[in-house]
Amino acid sequence: MKNIITKGITKVYNPDTIPVVALDGVDLEIEQGEFTAIVGPSGSGKTTLLNIIGGLDKPSHGSVTISGTEITKMRDNKLIEFRKEHIGFVFQAYNLIPVLTAEENVEFVMLLQNRPSAERDQRTTELLEAVGLGDKRNTRPAQLSGGQQQRVAVARALAPKPDFILADEPTANLDSKSTENLLDIMARLNHEEGITFVFSTHDQRVIDRAHRVITLVDGKIATDELQNPEK
Amino acid sequence: MILKIAWRNIWRSRTRSLVVIGAIIVGIWAEIFLMSFSEGMVKSYIDNAIQSEISHIQLHQPDFLKDKEVKYVIDDASSLQQALQSTAHVKAATVRSLSNAMIASAKGARGVQIKAVDPANESAVTRIDTKVVEGEYFSEGKKNQILLGRSLAEKMNIKIRSKIVLTFTNLNGDITAAAFRVVGLYETDNTMVDDAVVYTTRQDFNKVLGGGDIAHEAALFLEDPEYLDTVFSVLQAQFPNLKVETYKQISPEIALFDSQMQLSTTIFTVILMLALVFGIINTMLMAVLERIKELGMLMAVGMNKARVFFMIMFETIMLGLVAGPIGLGLAYLTVLYFNHTGIDLGNWSEAMRQFGMSRVVYTTIRPSMFTELAIAVILTALIGSIYPALKAIRLRPVEAIRRI
Repeated sequence: MKNIITKGITKVYNPDTIPVVALDGVDLEIEQGEFTAIVGPSGSGKTTLLNIIGGLDKPSHGSVTISGTEITKMRDNKLIEFRKEHIGFVFQAYNLIPVLTAEENVEFVMLLQNRPSAERDQRTTELLEAVGLGDKRNTRPAQLSGGQQQRVAVARALAPKPDFILADEPTANLDSKSTENLLDIMARLNHEEGITFVFSTHDQRVIDRAHRVITLVDGKIATDELQNPEK
Repeated sequence: MILKIAWRNIWRSRTRSLVVIGAIIVGIWAEIFLMSFSEGMVKSYIDNAIQSEISHIQLHQPDFLKDKEVKYVIDDASSLQQALQSTAHVKAATVRSLSNAMIASAKGARGVQIKAVDPANESAVTRIDTKVVEGEYFSEGKKNQILLGRSLAEKMNIKIRSKIVLTFTNLNGDITAAAFRVVGLYETDNTMVDDAVVYTTRQDFNKVLGGGDIAHEAALFLEDPEYLDTVFSVLQAQFPNLKVETYKQISPEIALFDSQMQLSTTIFTVILMLALVFGIINTMLMAVLERIKELGMLMAVGMNKARVFFMIMFETIMLGLVAGPIGLGLAYLTVLYFNHTGIDLGNWSEAMRQFGMSRVVYTTIRPSMFTELAIAVILTALIGSIYPALKAIRLRPVEAIRRI
């Protein structure tokens, strides 16, 4: 079963000086196929939770289990390997590799996975078409708009066929049109291919499209609600 | 793909990379030029010493080497000369009668060494005939001819065609004197030799010395110095009663000079490589520090630490690979040019001659130096990349990505 289970996640920054509790006992379960938004005001712990779920950060206490594997005790390199196979990331600032073209950025993680060339080519083409950038494959990030870069980032996150896509404020730097466009693509991939998306966001446009909205306040889950998305 | 990223990363900060590449090019060029210049000087020193003075191999009566007394002679010297001449790999051989003497002129007296030679054989070995700058070399039919170094003649105020008197000890141990006519003045690249050695013919000198076909020294010049050890062994076996010595044994300062030049070159290489290492560390550290966020992202999406480490290393090696061939090529062309034209150190020619070196230095270098330096540059790049690469892999993705 592909799911994410967190148990009693607590994250305290600066424990030895001025402790800041970012997360305070978060218990959560996210199933495959969800389109979930983690929301809350700034400093509520959204990004910290997403980072811990994605294995980019370690909790002070508690555990994260992804598809049956507890990742909180993994060593760094093992965690990198795990992320490569199971988790795709979409960052607020896109974080594409500036010296590679859109196509090469998408292909990159598949190369790390040692996928065969033909498979890489086919999937890269499919994904760039899916995000509407089939004609930009040889363009470098600097020549793409913010919305286009974020779509490349989504294609890159999807390329290794991860179990989950974790997106940290993916629309924060985008205009309305680009946001709508990106959300349409992600919603379609979720609906048609069953890809799980977990967002941290305080963008109402994203929240409106989510099937499940988890609200964090002061590092704790305040509400966890299912909703019918607007589209 | 990692190689592609590494290559493209180099050109992200074009100016900075070009500065490092330029530094490596200049470093390699300077290193090779200096080495070739040093080797040229060493070669000039050794060649001069061998050609003008020592030759490749010498043979003496063993006791002569201890006391330098004229009585320790090699008998039947002409036969020895012929035997040496017919030895494999020997280009030319000559025999000499030697004696310390006092040369007197109106201006005073000085101690000199008489080298009494067979003119044709001697010129084949030391090419002394080509160094005659005034007057002429020995000619047939004239008696008691003598060649002086020009510097000695100037100091003694002796002119061509002057008659001079040499006083020396003959074979019987008696002090004797003989008059010689100056037929020529020679000039080698070694002032000390010019000041101290006078040449006459063995035929004439042996008569006043009181001997027949005798000599004190046999010297030979090889077709190629690489046969030194071979010919040395052959002669040792062939002439067990004579002391056979190579130029390295006769003049150990040659080897010392050579090794000192090599040592100073090595020290220079180490200093240069250290400077390059710090230059590379500085550049690559900047490259890593300005890409922290990107490196964090690479690790976040699944690039493991080994790959990140090698990517930084590849970037550094590529800098070396771009700079290396250019530096080596430029250096090769420079060495080739000055090997052909030479570097005229005319302003220091007197000082150079004091040390037995030619005023024109022809740069020369062992081809293996290019390979060795190429390896040294790659190693330097590798060493220089270690710290920045370690810095990169110590990044924690979550912190790196958070950087602005």
